[in-house]
Amino acid sequence: MIVDDHDGFRRMARGMLEAAGFTVAEAATGAEATEAARTVRPGLVLLDIGLPDFDGFEVARRLAAVPAGDRAPVVVLTSTREARDYGTRIAASPAAGFLPKDELSGAALRRFLPGDP
Amino acid sequence: MNRWLRAAMIAGATIAVGWFVWSSWPPDSQYTPVEISFAVVGLSFMVAGIAAWQRWPASRLGLLFSIVGYLYLVPYILVNLANPVAWTIGNVTEGISGAALAYLGLAWPSGRLRSRFECGVVVANYAQNIAFNTAATMFWNPAFSGCNASCPANVLLIGDGSRSAWNTLGTVEALTGFVITGIVLTLIVRHWRSARGWSRRAMIPLLWIAPAVAAENILTGNLFHFSGLVTYALLPLVLLAGPALFVISTVRARTAGGALGTAIVDLEPGASPGRLRDALARALGDSTLQLAFPQPGGAGYLDTSGQAVDADRPDNGRAVVPVAGSDGAVLVYEEGLELEPHLVKLTAAAASMALEHARLQAEVQAQLEQVRASRARIVEAGDAERRRLERDLHDGAQQRLVMLSLALGMARDRAAGADPELEALITSAGKEAREALTELRELARGIHPAVLTETGLAGAIQALVERSPVAVTITAVPDERFPAAIEATAYFVVSEALANVAKHAMADGAQVTIRGLPGRLMVEVSDDGTGGARAEGGSGLRGLADRVASVGGVLRVDSPPGRGTRLEADLPCP
Repeated sequence: MIVDDHDGFRRMARGMLEAAGFTVAEAATGAEATEAARTVRPGLVLLDIGLPDFDGFEVARRLAAVPAGDRAPVVVLTSTREARDYGTRIAASPAAGFLPKDELSGAALRRFLPGDP
Repeated sequence: MNRWLRAAMIAGATIAVGWFVWSSWPPDSQYTPVEISFAVVGLSFMVAGIAAWQRWPASRLGLLFSIVGYLYLVPYILVNLANPVAWTIGNVTEGISGAALAYLGLAWPSGRLRSRFECGVVVANYAQNIAFNTAATMFWNPAFSGCNASCPANVLLIGDGSRSAWNTLGTVEALTGFVITGIVLTLIVRHWRSARGWSRRAMIPLLWIAPAVAAENILTGNLFHFSGLVTYALLPLVLLAGPALFVISTVRARTAGGALGTAIVDLEPGASPGRLRDALARALGDSTLQLAFPQPGGAGYLDTSGQAVDADRPDNGRAVVPVAGSDGAVLVYEEGLELEPHLVKLTAAAASMALEHARLQAEVQAQLEQVRASRARIVEAGDAERRRLERDLHDGAQQRLVMLSLALGMARDRAAGADPELEALITSAGKEAREALTELRELARGIHPAVLTETGLAGAIQALVERSPVAVTITAVPDERFPAAIEATAYFVVSEALANVAKHAMADGAQVTIRGLPGRLMVEVSDDGTGGARAEGGSGLRGLADRVASVGGVLRVDSPPGRGTRLEADLPCP
């Protein structure tokens, strides 16, 4: 699932990831993302840090808090900025990691999925 | 008191002294102690009279002092003139200075009697004195004192006179004198008790009058028979005390003007109006002095202790003087002080100066406060602008470059294998786009570090240190967040310091320490380089010092040549 308030980016990322063999859902805000996560049950969430309602770190926390027995999605934070612009906040969040937007690719995302070499 | 009267008094005093010198001329005949004591006491009252005129021109005290002096001297001179009429008048008026003394005491310090009753007492006192003296003189034959032809004749003598009648009259005179003296002293004590503030102080020289009036009565009266020595040694001493005390208090009052100056000088800057009042009251000698300010909206006046004051119609016994240039403040003082208009004027002027000084100081302080606040606002506005610029770059150009970069990546994937030339072209375009993105990120970070907004000082300093070409250790950085202006200032201090270390210091290493103390944030950057940096120099340090000052902090630079540089910013932090 792609969570980003930028339509252009969502469209382009969707094209790229579908080409790479992913099934893609979209959300534009943090609220939509947490709502959609319950119904869509995504395996991986590409989560923009700069969202209009709450920031990516907060959304990551909410996505991690799933009912017992359910599997939480793998969350990959993303931003136009670099990882060091966020200091220790990325490491402190339940997200699996960070991927700068300009380095996005199917291969780069797959590296965050468990069981993938 | 008019100047002719004063001149007459001074002339009279001169004549009296002249007579004393002349009467015992040539100088080989000794002046008797009696002559000397009369002269000294009489003259001392005249001197006190002149002093009183100088000190309190509006008071009749000077006249009363002089009258006592004359009434003390003149009968003595008349008796010694060897003329029957003069001798008789001298005898009738002998001791009348006691009545004048009582008058002086009752009229202190304005020289005016306070009631009709007191007028009556003074008149009765004079009348009793003259009546009994006249009656006694009628029965006194000069031969009783052992001189026959050599003494001047008694003009009033009835027959051969009667020593026993003379004695009886003397006793009755003494007894009635006691009653009147008792009344006079009671009245004076009542004046003393009801006097407040300046008037009470002004009555201090009067303390002598009770013993003096009593002594005059007892020692010269006919009731007890003291020897001439006691009379002529003790009485002059007691009497002398009065003029002496008064002259001393006059000299001290002269220094009151100086005391006012000292009071103002001693007043610490920014002293409250209450302190000013206390200083003025002390210098003026009026403990009841009030400094009152008009309340807004015409709600009357309040003094420095919060008491309501009616400045238009002051209480009985109070008087009001405006303090110039003070937005309507007034001094309310003890009415007796009207006798010293010069001192009142000086006090009002001193108060005016002190209040004006305080007002100017408050004005400058307020202006300084405004300038400080506006400087802080300007810096904050600059910070906000930089944050906005960074965000605009992030949301705009950076976002577009990311899209471009991704699109080029996808295009390259599609072209892969089909057209190697096109693939190479797209790869190189993608590389350019990514480099442009990197440069843009650096630019944005220089404008305002997003990491500071996002994570606070700890992350931002860590990022700075990582980018520094010199080995930097972080000794301490607090994890908590601080006000944006403080965080930005601390960040810029470290950023500028590390930039200087890299550019000028030729250092091997540097150290960053940030500590949150109660109410303060201490930022310290030190290196082991060449030193010699100066805050006054044209370097970025000047701007940094301004930046630190804008949040009310202090920047210290310690940079001895050859021994490294230590930069310390002390930032206030609520």
